[in-house]
Amino acid sequence: MSGAGPKGPRLGLGLSEDVDLLRFEQQAREAEAAPGPAPATPGEWIRQNLFSGPVNALLTLASGTFVLFVAYQILSFVFVSAQWEVVQVGMRGYMIGGFPVDEAWRVWASAYLVIVLAGLSYGVSARGLRPSAGQAAVGAVVVAVAGAIVFFTAQTALVRALTAGVAPAVFAGALVGRLLGRKILKPLVVAWVLVFPAIMIVVRGFDGVPPSEWEGFFFNIIAATVGIVASFPLGLLLALGRRSELPAVRVASVGFIELFRGVPLVAWLIFSKFVVDLVLPPQMVIPDIVKAFVAMTFFSAAYVGEIVRGGLQGVPAGQYEAARALGLSTTRMMALIVLPQALRSTIPAMISHFISLFKDTSLFVAIEVTDLLAAARRSASSLQYFGRDMETLLFAGLIFWVVAFSMSRWSQRLEVRLGVGRR
Amino acid sequence: MRVLRAAGQVLFVVILVVIAREMYLNATFAIGSAGRELSYTYLDSRAGFAIKEHIVGYSSNQPLYKAFLVGATNAMLVGAAGIVMATVLGVLIGVARLSPNWMVRKIALVYVEVFRNTPLLVQVIFWYVAVILAIPRIEDSVSVFGLAFVSNRGAALPAIRSGADFGTWSLFALAALLVAAIVWRWRTRVHERTGGPHYRWLSSLAVMAVLAAAGYVIVGDAFKVELPELIAHGYSGGLQMSPEFAGILVALVFYTAAFIGEIVRGSILAVSKGQKEAAQALGLSPGQQLRLVVLPQAMRTAIPPINNQYLNLWKNTSLAFAVGFPDLINISTTMVNQAGHALETFSLVVGTYLGTSLLISFGMNIVNRAVALRGGTA
Repeated sequence: MSGAGPKGPRLGLGLSEDVDLLRFEQQAREAEAAPGPAPATPGEWIRQNLFSGPVNALLTLASGTFVLFVAYQILSFVFVSAQWEVVQVGMRGYMIGGFPVDEAWRVWASAYLVIVLAGLSYGVSARGLRPSAGQAAVGAVVVAVAGAIVFFTAQTALVRALTAGVAPAVFAGALVGRLLGRKILKPLVVAWVLVFPAIMIVVRGFDGVPPSEWEGFFFNIIAATVGIVASFPLGLLLALGRRSELPAVRVASVGFIELFRGVPLVAWLIFSKFVVDLVLPPQMVIPDIVKAFVAMTFFSAAYVGEIVRGGLQGVPAGQYEAARALGLSTTRMMALIVLPQALRSTIPAMISHFISLFKDTSLFVAIEVTDLLAAARRSASSLQYFGRDMETLLFAGLIFWVVAFSMSRWSQRLEVRLGVGRR
Repeated sequence: MRVLRAAGQVLFVVILVVIAREMYLNATFAIGSAGRELSYTYLDSRAGFAIKEHIVGYSSNQPLYKAFLVGATNAMLVGAAGIVMATVLGVLIGVARLSPNWMVRKIALVYVEVFRNTPLLVQVIFWYVAVILAIPRIEDSVSVFGLAFVSNRGAALPAIRSGADFGTWSLFALAALLVAAIVWRWRTRVHERTGGPHYRWLSSLAVMAVLAAAGYVIVGDAFKVELPELIAHGYSGGLQMSPEFAGILVALVFYTAAFIGEIVRGSILAVSKGQKEAAQALGLSPGQQLRLVVLPQAMRTAIPPINNQYLNLWKNTSLAFAVGFPDLINISTTMVNQAGHALETFSLVVGTYLGTSLLISFGMNIVNRAVALRGGTA
């Protein structure tokens, strides 16, 4: 690892500038935060923002008409012409698909594990990480709508009770977290690290359910988690490999990254299902879903590698030199000085990538996995509810959207809190 | 230490080579025991399946490589059209995000947050199933003054086809282009010498149009306009767009435009405030400020991340499988189902995507170099 030249040689195809987008977004938010002169009265505000000139007034009228039209279309569909029965009947399928009903408690237990942990973390987190009143209100409305939908579509009293129980569980967690404060910060971090293995045990252990039966939204969540957890360390290695001073390692890392980034995930998933068996030894039999997870991990790791490389390039050469001057070995220099700085600056890009990975879990339908979207489509093709695609698609889209949107908002707050790019 | 490093690298390479060799041997063994061999000659055999839409000529009697080519060109058509349209819409969204008009600003914000945070596959299926297939059936086809038709069987637009004397006319067109370039340079020179208005777009385009039109009149049969016709359960003639093509294209455009919009907004905000104030002080109108001062500078910072979005859009054309549009993935899956040779076919798919991604990057790098700051002279 050459300390003095953080740029490194520009190998590869130049397919990689992901970090830039995030930097712009951040600059944009900062520029918007700059306070302007506040208008005095509501009338003044309307004049300034909506009718400051003839062109502006025309724009307001046109866009206002457009908003009214779209709002009318949406509202009249949602409350008048839509028949939500299909969603109500299909709800279990959307959430867990063909997961055995008798074993559904495993999913609930896992969900509650995460929910309580999330509540605790929220209670413990410092004020800066908490949303403002406005953000909290928007978030509460979104969660309430989603909760109400699930609540009213739940088919049994038990499911209804468990759904309704989410809110008190989060609240109790937050309260306990607030009371205990930062004392439980370390146990909490450990708990988050252990939560995924724990869920695996809850789901698979004790005569559990094999991965081939993980379906519905549960599958999307698990697939995204596997992808994130597995691709992060691999991506880190690739980024370090790409900047290694050993040519063989460098070329191999660049080749891996460009190969997996240059081809769509769908192609890799299909590749994993139809081709990988051919190149493996005949006695080695791996379930399709595991091969697909590996394909997704490689695909994601290539992106993570590029993001981390961007972060590494942002660490000033002086940091490397200072670490060397202190007599640190290469390993310790990277682990103690360089990586902590590099990784902090990549948090926004990393979360943004993980959001897309979460959205991309819907692509597993290409290898016949019934995820949330596939379950939604299937329910609209049954004889009884034929043609109710709009309802099912809107519902599936809403669920994906709630998760992706809240992740992106959380990332923005985290960014402000950590002062990414400002230190 | 140096020896150790060299030895380590050699070992690393040897391990990689051994793994690759092992995989190759496994593949030849597995394929051999199925009574076939690892080769690409199967591509010459008859395809035997029909493909609904193709821009290169194709029939089911043609060889498999032709079918593969149809898939690749179909995907590229979606990709190229998508890139152009997403750029236009994305710039509009980005500018709207910064509009002084509150209503416009908020509409753009909602647009971005909705389209960015929903899986593209949901959007593809939504546009195809819930919007495009829901428009009037072919019997009730919507006719636009008899020139174009829209129904759930697709859209048909008037097409411009080359006539018998197109070759002769293209010489005129070439000459027109040349003269227009000369006019452009002349107007630029005049502008630089006198500081007067240059009108170089207007004058060169006018010269080009006049010459091309003159060529058309002299030659005679350079073009004909082919109007689509409504026939039983379909259209004939004209430029036809299938619902599948429309579905994947519209979804890709709306999705990618949300990302491009955010990039454009960020790069506009990254242009230093002084630039806009200086433009204001010079008395430029808001439109001129944006067009002449802000956007050209914003473009510089926006190009690398937009390049990324183009690559994503190109890779995302693979989601066409969800609506049955015959793209690369769709066709190659059919090929594997019909003729086997999974390893060979999918290695071709990987190679094609990799090669085209590289081409897009290469092209964008040229654009990037063209607009980048040149030390001192710019």
